[in-house]
Amino acid sequence: MRKEPQLSDAPVSVPLIAAEHVEKRYGDFRPALVGVDLAVGRGDFLVVEGPGGSGKSVLMRLLAGLEPVSGGAIRIAGEDYASMRPRARAHLRHSLGIVPPGGGLLERAGAVANVELAARVAGTPADEARRRAHAALERVGFDLARDGAAPCARLAGGQRQSVALARALVNAPVLLLLDDLLAPLDAAAAAHVIGILAQFADAGVAVIATARSATEYAPPAAPGPAPGVALPWPARLRRLHLGAARAAAGVAA
Amino acid sequence: MSYAPTRAAALGAALRTMAQRPLSLVVITGSSALVLGLLAFATLVAWRVSTLDTPGWMRPQALVLVGGAEGETDLAAVGTALRKIDLVAQADFIGRAAALAQLAQRKSLASAGLAELRPNPLPDAFVVHFVPGAAPEAIEATVAQLRHVKNVESVEYASDTYRKAHLLARVGTRAARLLVLALGAAALIGTALAAVLWPRWEREQIQVLDLLGADPAALRRPRVYAGALTLLVAAALASWLFLALDAWLAPDLQDLAQAYALAWPPNPLPPWSVPLACAIAALLGGLIAAIGARVALRRTRSELRPGDTA
Repeated sequence: MRKEPQLSDAPVSVPLIAAEHVEKRYGDFRPALVGVDLAVGRGDFLVVEGPGGSGKSVLMRLLAGLEPVSGGAIRIAGEDYASMRPRARAHLRHSLGIVPPGGGLLERAGAVANVELAARVAGTPADEARRRAHAALERVGFDLARDGAAPCARLAGGQRQSVALARALVNAPVLLLLDDLLAPLDAAAAAHVIGILAQFADAGVAVIATARSATEYAPPAAPGPAPGVALPWPARLRRLHLGAARAAAGVAA
Repeated sequence: MSYAPTRAAALGAALRTMAQRPLSLVVITGSSALVLGLLAFATLVAWRVSTLDTPGWMRPQALVLVGGAEGETDLAAVGTALRKIDLVAQADFIGRAAALAQLAQRKSLASAGLAELRPNPLPDAFVVHFVPGAAPEAIEATVAQLRHVKNVESVEYASDTYRKAHLLARVGTRAARLLVLALGAAALIGTALAAVLWPRWEREQIQVLDLLGADPAALRRPRVYAGALTLLVAAALASWLFLALDAWLAPDLQDLAQAYALAWPPNPLPPWSVPLACAIAALLGGLIAAIGARVALRRTRSELRPGDTA
């Protein structure tokens, strides 16, 4: 049986994920992305900012290996996605925590089932997957007693994002790809989430998040941070600005 | 939403899905078993028929009466000339002495004035056998050629009988082909039915599972197992049906063959052919299901728009 690549086994000297002159086109339409470069290592926190339609979500899909690039290359742990078999690409996603816009949840299933599924897909036995799902949901502050049984379609926007984040965290990911995570959250909830992400980044998890503005992740005066959460942490925060259909430059904040 | 990451879990998922749709399972396995059983039985009967010698009444032949031949040399020349003609497979000489000896063996004739025949010389004759399966028109044209051979007095050929036999054989062959085609079509329809009746993947499920890094093979595996199990059960039922049909009809077919002086061969299949057939059917079911699952998965993915997943 062939051993699938493990992102956690990647050497520290190599960026966890890197994009080199990445382009993305859909048919003959205007290119969605042109010439994007980035490199993210362990513990890095990169915010991809830009207006709507600038290609943030497209970039996240490419970084997650869900779509092929039209030009350039995306290397994960030094290996080009394009040279990997579909099964290997899928296997690598077990080490990624991905939150797509809107959460990308199974609407008819409950919060626990959604999070548990991610653990099951990663090969965790059923009982352990359920235990981890509960732990992850509690970690993000989801009220299991009140909302645990409700189908996700009936949850509020903030709760859905919490479930999606818990699902992204349940497999102890090496890299988090968070697309528009904070948009549906109020300031207090956003601060709580940022605090959690900061702790993961401190522990060496790489985070790439999209936002209209990078300031969403480093508010100048974060109102009401959760107790024990260190905010802000601008020294680590980097930003990549995507203009309309064109990446500008990756610069540290 | 269930996900079966291991083979054991996939087998469990396949069994659960099949059990959740008992009517579909009965319809699919029942119809598949009927088709496979009939197909196997029809194939066996066709094979047995193909091994039989063509009965004499179906073999085209003519009696060529020779007149004016002066001796053995002339008769040999006639035989050689007959054998050179197209579509003549064999020409057997029957001399007067041999014909009289054959008549003498018939006891009823021996006392009914055989001696009176002796003064009436029987003609020398050739029994000409034509190539089996040749078209009646072609044989009739050959018969016309036979009549022009030197020293041939007349040719007796029952063209009507051979035309009927040839027509019967043609109708029988076409009916058998039609039956096989119908059974094959039924098998295809059954397979398509099985694919349609299986619960479809929802786009939402595929989006989420792709996002989470689900192994594409693990997605397909429950369907592959279900396909293999379905055809395994169908093949077991078909084997029972086949053996039952053979036990029921074989004596009658044997009697029928004997009535036409034919030796009906016994069932050539060894006892281990049943489990072998079941195993092959299971593999085939798994293969068909794997192809169907790939196509269905690809179709579901093609319905996803860019941006649906992330």
